[in-house]
Amino acid sequence: MLGSLGRPAHRRTRSALIAGAASLVLAFARVASAQVAQVDTAHTFYHEAPTRTNMTVYTPGVDVAVTPAEWVTVRGGYEADIVSGASVATKAGSAYQSVNPGVDVITTASVKDFRHSPRGGFTLRKGDVAYTASYTYGTENDYKSHSIFVGARTDAFDHNTQFELSYARNFDSVCDRVQAVEDTPPRFRALEDSSGCFTSEERRRRRALSIDGFQASWTQAWTPTFASQLVYTAQLLDGFQSNPYRSIIVAQGLKAQEHHPDVRVRQALALRFNWYLRPIKVALRLTGRVYRDTWDITSGTGELEAERYLVEGLRLAARGRFYRQTGALFWSDDYTGGEPPLGPKGQYFTGDRELSPFWSLGLGARVTYTIHPTAKPEGGTARLLGIFTNAKLGSSADVMQFSYDEYTLAGVPITNARAYIIGATAGAAF
Amino acid sequence: MEGHKLAQVLLATLLVFAAGCVTVKPQQRSVLADPIMQFEGDPQASAQLRHAIDNREGSYGGGGVAGGGCGCN
Repeated sequence: MLGSLGRPAHRRTRSALIAGAASLVLAFARVASAQVAQVDTAHTFYHEAPTRTNMTVYTPGVDVAVTPAEWVTVRGGYEADIVSGASVATKAGSAYQSVNPGVDVITTASVKDFRHSPRGGFTLRKGDVAYTASYTYGTENDYKSHSIFVGARTDAFDHNTQFELSYARNFDSVCDRVQAVEDTPPRFRALEDSSGCFTSEERRRRRALSIDGFQASWTQAWTPTFASQLVYTAQLLDGFQSNPYRSIIVAQGLKAQEHHPDVRVRQALALRFNWYLRPIKVALRLTGRVYRDTWDITSGTGELEAERYLVEGLRLAARGRFYRQTGALFWSDDYTGGEPPLGPKGQYFTGDRELSPFWSLGLGARVTYTIHPTAKPEGGTARLLGIFTNAKLGSSADVMQFSYDEYTLAGVPITNARAYIIGATAGAAF
Repeated sequence: MEGHKLAQVLLATLLVFAAGCVTVKPQQRSVLADPIMQFEGDPQASAQLRHAIDNREGSYGGGGVAGGGCGCN
């Protein structure tokens, strides 16, 4: 059979295929030449060893973002938490200890866990608006999490203003111990360990926790050297929020699994200022945050950071942070009795020092080195080692001191709660 | 209630101010565009630090958002 051009059909088909493939290769080459890929890795090492406990957490993370066209960025990443240490398994206060002076009622349990958290998402851009969606999965021996995030960002008023709105929803599951049918929370027993969690093991059950998060922000350039940012965050948690492993002495001879309310609504409002002081070439960042939740925790945070270039590409930042919070409505260092603020506080009880009144002071420094290859005289994209369009290295060190107003371990105050946080980052674009 | 009204009036005033009276021209944004002026210069490192701190405090939220007010992200 001959085609209209007098060539055999199979030869015409082959020519068309070759032409099509060539066009595809050319088109792909054009896209690839405009392609930007960014790889970032961050590592954080956290260590603290207050009285009778200790905790070391190593958090490595890597993210890859590819922008094949101006209107889209696709990203994927992975993060882990490698946890080891010892935490308080049975908590009591001074009143109980004074009644039982010969007993060391405080017990600790070793903690070893590995949280894996892969994530992926994309950003679509149209004009001044960008839409982002992402998904994060988290899994560890006793906790599983599915999280979705959607957000929109827009520039306004000649790009002097940015508004951003986002919503996140978590579908989490916490491993817990099956309790006796006739028992009530004051008689619930704590989870012994994570064996059998998320299996058909009869002694284990899943407790649901859903988290809805909403955030709105407004970033504003006021002058060529001064900008501000206002951020509002609201979060609604509904489900199991206790530490299933922790027991609290709630009465003489009675210890029970920690029992927190199921619902918690949290709100925070933060205001940041970024001001570049030209005479001394220093960028000053000032942050103030207020927080309140329905567990009656109120807190205030103040942060100050100063950063400047030492030489081209090399920046040094120093930062300080002060934090103060009140205790939860149901917080008590000892639920068995004693003078206020000790004594029972209604139907809930906790041994969580993060729910007690305290303040903390943090000091830290960060060094960042960014390399931008010098442009070629003949034009074209300048590349480092022939590959990277830019590269970044960073490292940081922070120390935080916590001071607890009421929290004790059987009357022994925690005076050496100091955390050390070391960070390292590297990133490159190509 | 009066506090709410005051906050609304303040927000509206600031927005009008931002929309009409304050204009930083593109050629004036070199400092704002510099990495040193980013509110969230290294999002991944900041997120990890916040994750560590959040686990030691009863509060949550109000974290930084990327950008430095240069309209160049």
